[in-house]
Amino acid sequence: MTGKKIVWVAGLIVAGMCILPLSLGIYPQHVLIVSLFYVMMASSWNLLAGFTGQVSFGHAAMAGIGAYTSGILAVKAGVDPWIGVCAGTALAALLGLALGALCLKMGGIYLSLTTLAFSQILHIVIVNEYDVTRGTMGLQVPGLVAEYSKITYYYIMLAAAVLMLTILYRMIHSNLGMNFRAVQNDEVAAKSVGAKVLQVRVLAFTVASAMAGFAGGLYGHYLLLITPEIPSLDLQFKVLAMTVIGGMGSFFGPIIGAFALNILEEYIRVYGEYHVLVFGLVALVVARFAPNGLIGLWRKFRPMKTHLAVK
Amino acid sequence: MFAISIMNGLVMGVIYALAALGVSLVVGIMNVVNFAHGELYILAGYFSYLFASALGVNFVLALVLAVGLVFILGLLIEYLLIRPTYGNDMYSLILTFILSIVLQNAYLLIFGPYPNKPPLWVSGATDVFGLFLYGNQRLAALVAGAAVIAVIFLIIKKTWFGRIIRAASQDREMAELNGVNTTRLNMLSFGLGCALAAAAGVILAPVFPVTPSAGVPVALTAFVVVVLGGMGSLWGCVVGGLTLGLVENLGAAFISTGYKNVFGFIILILVLLVRPSGLFGRAKV
Amino acid sequence: MALLEGHKVSKSFGGVQALSQVDFVVERGTIVGLIGPNGAGKTTLFNAVAGAFKPTSGKVIFDGADVTGLPANAICRRGMARTFQVTRPFAAMTCLENVMVAAINRHPEKPRPFIEAFAHEKLDFVGLAEMEGTEARHLNVIQKKRLEMARALATEPKLLMLDEVLGGLNTQEISQAVEFIRSLRDRLGLTVLWIEHVMGAIMKAAERVIVLDQGQVLMAGNPAEVVADQRVIQAYLGD
Repeated sequence: MTGKKIVWVAGLIVAGMCILPLSLGIYPQHVLIVSLFYVMMASSWNLLAGFTGQVSFGHAAMAGIGAYTSGILAVKAGVDPWIGVCAGTALAALLGLALGALCLKMGGIYLSLTTLAFSQILHIVIVNEYDVTRGTMGLQVPGLVAEYSKITYYYIMLAAAVLMLTILYRMIHSNLGMNFRAVQNDEVAAKSVGAKVLQVRVLAFTVASAMAGFAGGLYGHYLLLITPEIPSLDLQFKVLAMTVIGGMGSFFGPIIGAFALNILEEYIRVYGEYHVLVFGLVALVVARFAPNGLIGLWRKFRPMKTHLAVK
Repeated sequence: MFAISIMNGLVMGVIYALAALGVSLVVGIMNVVNFAHGELYILAGYFSYLFASALGVNFVLALVLAVGLVFILGLLIEYLLIRPTYGNDMYSLILTFILSIVLQNAYLLIFGPYPNKPPLWVSGATDVFGLFLYGNQRLAALVAGAAVIAVIFLIIKKTWFGRIIRAASQDREMAELNGVNTTRLNMLSFGLGCALAAAAGVILAPVFPVTPSAGVPVALTAFVVVVLGGMGSLWGCVVGGLTLGLVENLGAAFISTGYKNVFGFIILILVLLVRPSGLFGRAKV
Repeated sequence: MALLEGHKVSKSFGGVQALSQVDFVVERGTIVGLIGPNGAGKTTLFNAVAGAFKPTSGKVIFDGADVTGLPANAICRRGMARTFQVTRPFAAMTCLENVMVAAINRHPEKPRPFIEAFAHEKLDFVGLAEMEGTEARHLNVIQKKRLEMARALATEPKLLMLDEVLGGLNTQEISQAVEFIRSLRDRLGLTVLWIEHVMGAIMKAAERVIVLDQGQVLMAGNPAEVVADQRVIQAYLGD
């Protein structure tokens, strides 16, 4: 698809997304909002794991950083939530930078374990510091807008998601994105042709963490209640599952995965709280037999063509 | 207070070491980190409860059956999931992470959220050194755990199978060139790793409640111990496990119980920063 | 002044001394061969010079500057390119993209159309133009070698380090490859340091040959001298 065509198609999709909630009830609107949150989380995690091969288990923790920073500032210091979200994003970016720099010398497994340790430490701190975070009870926070309106929140999340995806798209198709892919394919070879591997990996961590923090901040003020469920391994799992099932290393994979799993969850809920089990089984099968996810399967069964453009 | 913490630290330390041995074995030979390690530990607990309490099987037999079943499951997991990932550690990490979540939810579905307790092996308490009373089951756990560790050490150091394991974890290619069937070795090692988790599980099941997600902290702790002790080092697991057990329990007693688990993670990050090869591990070139 | 100089370069791994006090010189605009029996340390020397790892001791001077211990990407940017004994393509990327990676790091400010044209030209130069849209993992060994050459050339190096590029080629292909490498020197003015086992090719193309054995320089001289040297013959016979 040429550049111009992409803009048209994207524009149409976004326009469609704008009109969509108007015909839906409150609960479906909620599902869409949650889906948009996961689109942002999955797409940014994909930048780390799918594009630079850094499988981080601390992504949900970054969302938690965004949510709790903004929430605590609002509750304790009366800071306007919008500014709070910016602060949360900045803090997440900073921690992402630190974590990325920390993990530079580490191989894949050690990096994953370090991010895991980071997420667990954060979770424990949040649960324990009741005075500040209200622990497992959850922190009640003000919303982003004076009058609560699902539609308004929907448009906010939609705008945020579109912004984030645009940034990711431009990144992936830039020189940086090409370096990302090269580093992921073969780091030694990438180094030998001059790629600044260390910078690339830390940059990916910083940007991805900032995005998670941003998404978390907005989400927290939507839910009006911030709990340790945000920086949890369960949320991290959902993000991972959506990316894996949708297709790691592809732009659309996480988006498709996020929507698909969230909508699927609602259908499964009718029978009981089995959705995580189902996600897990599907993710297991996909990861084992179709490692490139739904997008990978789609590409396989499309007519073959060789082309120059980066997918 | 101090003395009891030390006792608890020792008991937990031995169990941590046992769980870590399972992880270390698999990492050393296959370079695979089994995220679902904790779920296999808990599964053994569930099995021992099923056989001993629900079915009334003789409790020693129940233990053996539990460990044996998990061993076989380990072989199956290796064959189905791990084998195709050979060489790509990220892939196996992702797969075992997903498996861990799947198992946790499966347990929730099958066994329900409430804790299950297999019967105690021994009841009552003993006067330790005249200082305090300590539960006999915990003492039994300490002894049993230490015994299993000793057996493993014997196997690794003295037997022919142990020699193959040591060779393969040092240099896989060399072992292959010398005729070792690495595929079968992988499968057996993975099974053995799971069996070790299972052993730890049946030992502690009478003491701590068996719930669907109780395996998660065990796996995480095992990872910390392996990193602290050094990947692929058996002594590292023992020293690391005991160290962690003591630090955690002393920390919980004197600093804060809520933050008990933080110590392990902080230790992990510090070790990876300062000396990634751990206390006894081989330094990376 | 020579383009590349090594002064007492040494490298040990644990207890194994892979390189020991290696002194060598590569003059500008020449093709220098690096030969030696298996395990002599030739690729290790490449790795120490090109920044894949740091030498344990010694110095590497490239184009007048001390580059000892600099990382591979920094050294590449100074004008040293290398190929790998076992090729390392970016498997999931197309041939064009493979070369583009080198191009974008060489010319980060240039727009995409320039980069694509630049990469295309390099692929054409090595005869892989019609494969440009194919993912590198589908290439055969010889095509992969050509791709690695194109990628290395895309970094616009002053010094090209080749690690056994002739392996697996038939006689005619070897001739063509030797001609190609000669033209790199004659028409592009490149300097080439070339590890090779195919002795005939080295002797035909190189002006100077360095012989390594067990991590040490056995001798260095023109091809005729090297071939006749008793120590060299012994080293190979003993292999």
